[in-house]
Amino acid sequence: MSLDQRLESPARILSPGMRLQGWGTGLTLLAVWLLLIAATGLYRPDFLSHQTVLAVSFTMSIVGVMAIGQGLVAISGGFLDLSQPAALIASSLVAVRLSEAGIPFAFVILGAVLTGMAWGFANAVIIVGAKLNPVIVTLATNFIGLAALYFAFQLAEVPLGSAIHQFGRAKLFGLPAIWWPMLALVLVVGFLIPRTRYGRRAIAVGGNRMAARARGISLKVTRFAIFTAAGGFVGFAGVLFCATSGPFNPSSANALQLNVIAGVILAGISLSGGRGNFWLLLLSVGFLSTIPTALVFFGLSSDTQSIFQGLILISAVAFDGYRARRGIP
Amino acid sequence: MLRISKRVITTMALTVPLAFGVAWSANAAEKFKLGMAVGGNTCCDWMKAQGDVARALAEKNGWDYIELSNNNDPAIALKNARIFAQEGVNAMIQFNGQPASNPAISQAMNAAKIPVVTYDIADPGMYFVGIDNLAAGIAGGEQLGKVIKEKWACNPDLVVSAEGAAAGIVNEWRTGGMRTGLKKICPDIPAEKWVSFESQGDAAVGLPAARDLLAAHPDAKKMAVVGLNDGGVLSLINAAEQLGRADEVIGWGQDGAFITGDNVNPHLAGSVFYFLEGYAVYAIRDVIAPIAAGNIPPLKAAADNPASRVEPCPVSAEQAKAVPAMAERVAKLLEAPAGTTAYSLFCPNK
Repeated sequence: MSLDQRLESPARILSPGMRLQGWGTGLTLLAVWLLLIAATGLYRPDFLSHQTVLAVSFTMSIVGVMAIGQGLVAISGGFLDLSQPAALIASSLVAVRLSEAGIPFAFVILGAVLTGMAWGFANAVIIVGAKLNPVIVTLATNFIGLAALYFAFQLAEVPLGSAIHQFGRAKLFGLPAIWWPMLALVLVVGFLIPRTRYGRRAIAVGGNRMAARARGISLKVTRFAIFTAAGGFVGFAGVLFCATSGPFNPSSANALQLNVIAGVILAGISLSGGRGNFWLLLLSVGFLSTIPTALVFFGLSSDTQSIFQGLILISAVAFDGYRARRGIP
Repeated sequence: MLRISKRVITTMALTVPLAFGVAWSANAAEKFKLGMAVGGNTCCDWMKAQGDVARALAEKNGWDYIELSNNNDPAIALKNARIFAQEGVNAMIQFNGQPASNPAISQAMNAAKIPVVTYDIADPGMYFVGIDNLAAGIAGGEQLGKVIKEKWACNPDLVVSAEGAAAGIVNEWRTGGMRTGLKKICPDIPAEKWVSFESQGDAAVGLPAARDLLAAHPDAKKMAVVGLNDGGVLSLINAAEQLGRADEVIGWGQDGAFITGDNVNPHLAGSVFYFLEGYAVYAIRDVIAPIAAGNIPPLKAAADNPASRVEPCPVSAEQAKAVPAMAERVAKLLEAPAGTTAYSLFCPNK
């Protein structure tokens, strides 16, 4: 089979053994997550309650959708999109303004998603046009974006009682309504990435840029598509954010960045590109979202979560590097 | 000959603008120059409004005005003070929400003989203008206590403090003051019912921690919430709404940021207005204008003996409906006769 055929054929890139190894990350994550839940439950039995499930799943929802966008950038070799906080706030602001204008909820979502996509497209224009490092560009656009947002507004909030406000507080099958779109998106993207031409090209560009170029895959087109799509996911995360956050300001999403990056790395999506299983985001983001809740049950302030998240992030990056050096998928 | 002509032309080209510059500088030096360091914390629109009001009042007085932002960073606040000294301001006003650098700022400005007005956080070397945060906290706590006494006979399941540790002593005064005020009305609430979480004074940022706190107290239904500011209190209220437990949550905030307008959360029972946007009226009326007139007032640096005291204005959500939103308050304040305070214009509980 030629490389062309391998790139274009669905789900045959990885051997069964390699796939199992990929799921090994998932099994490890699941084990650690269950261990955390069990340990906290033993210490405080009331941890195993519906309230905990709600608290964790609310936290998961926004981070999970942002992680899909971040994962797309990573798997395609873009390393990281550091402009997600500004993109999320810009999308949230659009959602708030459209809600205030009485626009139907579907169009509110559309407006926010398009805003995110426009943001991602602008990133791609600079990255591709000026041939600059995506990390530097997105770091810069985040700074520029936040500064511009301060000129646009100081505080924003969706109208109380509006459809988006109710969506942020609604439940479906006992879980937050905002959790289900996150689940659906992770499952769909995780299914499509290795099975569609678009997804396989993203992986190919991330895995070996020269080989992908030699096979006629346009790096420019792929990068535009990836950053625009990633922006769309951040735009949707902006809807979930403003639906739940209450009043927010341009800096309110900064704290999400570390969780999103940690979630992507823990899920085994390689920052150097070409490797990753999006379904594992459910485990990594779920685990990371459980940590601060568990800390409170142990009597520690949720502020201390940054210490644990930092340690986990270092461990995950070290493991990512180890896997890359050993060629472990 | 040609070389001489060039020298002459060059000399004239340098001298003429220089002469204009010197003349302009001499003229400018005669004008009183006010430096204003705004807080620069992105949490709150009143920080920008503080600068807007100070600028407008300085212009009304015919003064030069320079504004810098402290970016909520103590090192930048010190750097800004040094810039003001280099620029030769005659007086400086600051809101420094990170007061660790206040001693160094005070030392630098005293050495430069530039009087400094500081808002809300006292320093021995600076004129204090502002609220008595502890008194404001106690006033808010007492109001919340009255509501709790009436609705729950002083028997809440939980009293939650939404802290903002970065605000330092101000956080301790306000949240501690609110607890003290609440205890005055309801003295028998057991110690184990008093809990706190770090809200960072931001409704959105504090939300996950608020949800975690509620999850860790799954049986608590009747919850009273106090906090550093309205934003912190709202983070707990929003978390309770999301976890389906908002039916019996009553919050009372500080600063009045979210108690006016059309979007007031029904569980925010009240707040304490300081009318922060209007602090410059006090500072200019009682300190800066006398200095500009050559009558330097005695240094009053303590919160309990201030150069100018801002009155706290505790209001229920119902009363707050009569208070205009901040943009309208700023406009009306600037239209009012000189020295008129926002408290006198807008507080419904005078």
